[in-house]
Amino acid sequence: MKKFIAMLSAVFGLFMLGVFSQPQIQAASEKTYTIDTDVTFPPFVYANTENKYVGIDLDLLRAIAKEEGFKVKIRPVGFNAAVQSVSAGQADGMIAGMSITEERKQKFDFSDPYYSAGIVMAVKDGSGIKSLSELKGKKVAVKTGTAGADYANSIKDKYGFEIVTFDDSDGVYNDVINGNSAACFEDSAVMYYAIKNGLDLKVVTKPANTTETGFAVKKGQNQELLKMFNEGLAKLKANGEYDKIIKKYTEGKATSKTKVKSQTETAEDRTVLGILKENKDAFISGIIETLKLTVVGIFCATIFGIFVGLLGVVPNKFCRGLSTTIIYIFRGLPLIVLALFIYNGVPSLIGSKVPAFLAGVITLMLNEGAYTAAFVKGGIESVDKGQMEAARSLGMPFGKSMRRVILPQGIKIMVPSFINQFIITLKDTSILSVIGLLELTQTGKIIIARNLEGFRVWAIVAVIYLVIITVLTLLSKWIERRINN
Amino acid sequence: MADLKVDVTNLKKNYGSNQVLKGIDFKVANNEVVVLIGPSGSGKSTLLRCLNKLEEPTSGSIVIDGHDISDPKTNIDKARENIGMVFQHFNLFNNLSVGENIMLAPVELGKANKDEAMTTAKQLLETVGLADKFDAMPASLSGGQKQRVAIARALAMNPDIMLFDEPTSALDPEMVGDVLEVMKDLAKDGMTMVVVTHEMGFAKEVADRVVFMAEGHVVEEGRPEAIFEDPQNERTKAFLEKVINI
Repeated sequence: MKKFIAMLSAVFGLFMLGVFSQPQIQAASEKTYTIDTDVTFPPFVYANTENKYVGIDLDLLRAIAKEEGFKVKIRPVGFNAAVQSVSAGQADGMIAGMSITEERKQKFDFSDPYYSAGIVMAVKDGSGIKSLSELKGKKVAVKTGTAGADYANSIKDKYGFEIVTFDDSDGVYNDVINGNSAACFEDSAVMYYAIKNGLDLKVVTKPANTTETGFAVKKGQNQELLKMFNEGLAKLKANGEYDKIIKKYTEGKATSKTKVKSQTETAEDRTVLGILKENKDAFISGIIETLKLTVVGIFCATIFGIFVGLLGVVPNKFCRGLSTTIIYIFRGLPLIVLALFIYNGVPSLIGSKVPAFLAGVITLMLNEGAYTAAFVKGGIESVDKGQMEAARSLGMPFGKSMRRVILPQGIKIMVPSFINQFIITLKDTSILSVIGLLELTQTGKIIIARNLEGFRVWAIVAVIYLVIITVLTLLSKWIERRINN
Repeated sequence: MADLKVDVTNLKKNYGSNQVLKGIDFKVANNEVVVLIGPSGSGKSTLLRCLNKLEEPTSGSIVIDGHDISDPKTNIDKARENIGMVFQHFNLFNNLSVGENIMLAPVELGKANKDEAMTTAKQLLETVGLADKFDAMPASLSGGQKQRVAIARALAMNPDIMLFDEPTSALDPEMVGDVLEVMKDLAKDGMTMVVVTHEMGFAKEVADRVVFMAEGHVVEEGRPEAIFEDPQNERTKAFLEKVINI
């Protein structure tokens, strides 16, 4: 039995070594900074029709970087994930139409403001609501963590409305369009940009609580980057580049020519086929990322799960306790909490970055692995005890008995659970969009942020998932038949 | 002591606060056939299972073939190679054919190569009257056939002693005879055997010694004629009356 444990440990050790000892590639002549952003936030940051990340923020950032001679690596992780990555040191800075607030100043150092905007209230065209006082007893949609949300919170008691929060702007707008919420609060620039692009909402208030928008780094960190940003911004303002960029994104609507053009473009693109064609590359790279996560995740989770499951049946109290504890913890934790913990929590503990893909794979390995371990353990335990007794009574050691007698019978019992777990793993990769992995779900979010076609894009994403799941199921059934023969 | 196959001294076994064996002394000589009888819950199966350490004894010493298997330093797997065991519920390996069931342990433990093991397996199947079942799967066999394969499987390791834990209790009545026949042949060939059974006929005919257990004690033991015809202890009498009058 000791041999058996030693063998398992060796296999697992080698495996972990493989996972964690990825070579750190670090070669930079010009310093590269990792900047996190939220690409569902036009006009500050969004993906254009060529799926390039553009907007006021990124155009400014790139111009500044060019001016000051540094490089940036943009990661479209989403606003909350960006806030957490910068706090955890996973990213050097963030730029995402971020309002400068006293609360945020506790954790971040901000650049000089590069834009100032106010919060406006928007309602469904024709809803008849014209002022804040008409919101009493109604629902109001906001995007979490935005200045719009803060503003809504500050006045909700006064006006007696209820707040509904969403993770992305599309969710906010749709809630208003669908009539679930009576209004939404959003940054004026964001709101005007969205309406300009065909969103069926109407701004009914003047900008309130004007706030300044800034580039942020973790408090006390990356001061040289902050200095360069400020210097670069000053230069851009002096040479007129700054005004050009701002106008490009907020005043384009003034000319009727561009409006007409954008409308005809829009009409062509709004069919499912049009959306697919236009975003082909984005969908393909999203599918590839999802598949990569799924395959590597399933592989790691299966090995980890089998290891922990077997640990749960060896005749050693410590091993069994360890197995039960691992299953208890990682099956008990919601996947999203585990992902955020590994990606944003662990780096501040160990003092080095965890790449998002690795964090995603570890999350899947631990969570899906815990479920796998539970049914591996259950499968083995469901093999009649007499089988093990008979094998042991012949003088066969525990490991041999396990391998030749118990496992072949247990695996047959486990096969349907494995297939089920593979499918769950595939679906769970979508949750990893919270740590900014550009998989299929995150891809969908980004595309919707630009074209606001929630229904069609999510339908496309759903169908893609179903297709992948069908292929995965067929593959698993084929393996199942092979095992049973 | 060379002739003593089994030497159990003051064996105790507790399950929590429940003491199942309350200080058993139990010896088996070479070539001896001992039958353990007694009411259910008397501890006879537990005693048998302690002899190859399927049950961990709470205290006391168990010496089999000169090896103290109650000593944690003793390699129990090595000791078990010489102790064959047959279970009430056969416990044939469901994932393996009859032939593979018999060949598995000798090949895995390096006692024989595949060809030798196959020859042995076929011979053993012939002795138990199942020569044609080499390739059959356990699920296709009747209970009596399964038990005879289980005996052949235990014999394939060429053990010095065979333990039988109620080998006929799970069988349909018409199957019992075949299994008992195989066991009688084994006894005649001089195999040392410890048998837990309710087959009093078998005990009378084959046993060199009958041990009657009750409530975790050895109550009475002796030649089968003595135990069955002239039991000394009240509990033995009561038990035999019930069993024989059925």
